Amino acid sequence: MRASEIFVLISIIVFIFSLAYITSLGGLGQLPPVNVRLLAQRYLALTWNPLKPFMSSSGYESVTAIVWDFRGLDTFFETAVFYGAIIAAIAIYRGVKISGKGRTTGMSPIARTITRLSIILIPTVAASIALHGHLTPGGGFQAGSVATVVVVLIIMVFGRKALIRKGVTKARILLFRSLGLLGIGFTAVAILLAGVALGLNAYIFQNQPKLFAPLGFPKLYDGMILGGSLLLFNLFEFIAVTAGFTLVLLLLSLGEEEVRGVVEK
Amino acid sequence: MIEVFTLAFLMLVSVASVVAAYLAIRERDMVKAIVYSAIQSAMYALIFYVLMAPDIVLVYIPVSVGITPAVLLFVTKKTERYDGD
Repeated sequence: MRASEIFVLISIIVFIFSLAYITSLGGLGQLPPVNVRLLAQRYLALTWNPLKPFMSSSGYESVTAIVWDFRGLDTFFETAVFYGAIIAAIAIYRGVKISGKGRTTGMSPIARTITRLSIILIPTVAASIALHGHLTPGGGFQAGSVATVVVVLIIMVFGRKALIRKGVTKARILLFRSLGLLGIGFTAVAILLAGVALGLNAYIFQNQPKLFAPLGFPKLYDGMILGGSLLLFNLFEFIAVTAGFTLVLLLLSLGEEEVRGVVEK
Repeated sequence: MIEVFTLAFLMLVSVASVVAAYLAIRERDMVKAIVYSAIQSAMYALIFYVLMAPDIVLVYIPVSVGITPAVLLFVTKKTERYDGD
């Protein structure tokens, strides 16, 4: 180890510890309180509260309730930004043909066998994260990113062409992505549309019945917690995120030669 | 007592993440640098878990250990693997 490297190491350590010390003294802004804050208390108290039906959400999981119910509009715009980025990626690769023809060079039989097992296991975990998102930690985006790992594995181990030959084409992924987005949009305005049709008061992003707005998604079915719109939002976000990430990975895995000819035209 | 252990564990993991970040910056081989970066992200995921944010952990592990390295590997394939002077 050279003297300069030791100097760098020592200065990094000194920097980290002095920064930690300053932060602990409140030098980088006010320290958050140790107790649960008032806003957090409200959210925790209202996530599942049968005593206050007009103010509470419909699941056990506070984070999902905040993300898709209390602050649903924020998440909607976040989703819009994410899909804007994906549309930009598709626009860059416009005109590029993605074909599954030709020889594929995959990895060794050991890697292939392990991946074949994972192709079943990982989506199962992802589905459980999405469908239990209103009861346990998790949700649509989490599940979608877990499911995308399968796509990464398939592209890495079997090759992109194998994925396309199995039927995962660009058009189909775009279809699923649009279905997911349409589902999210429809769930957001479903109660409003029903309210307009029935001549009742209703809100956009309404999940449970509110005061003077009696419509709402079902909360329970046969004693089972359904989560109202949370379950639907999680499901559609799962589909949309998986399709969006898959599309970007498929486009990125294209070879330089295939893209250059189209881009330079 | 548990609090002290938690804080000590957090400190260890954070220092390890800094070491991984340093190695990722120093490394000339891009593939190794991506692996170091994934290690750093795994350390962050541990921190999130200890700080009781399981929702973030669930999205952080696949994105930072699965998808980001994959995207970076695809990009590395299109450029050069070894960083020159």
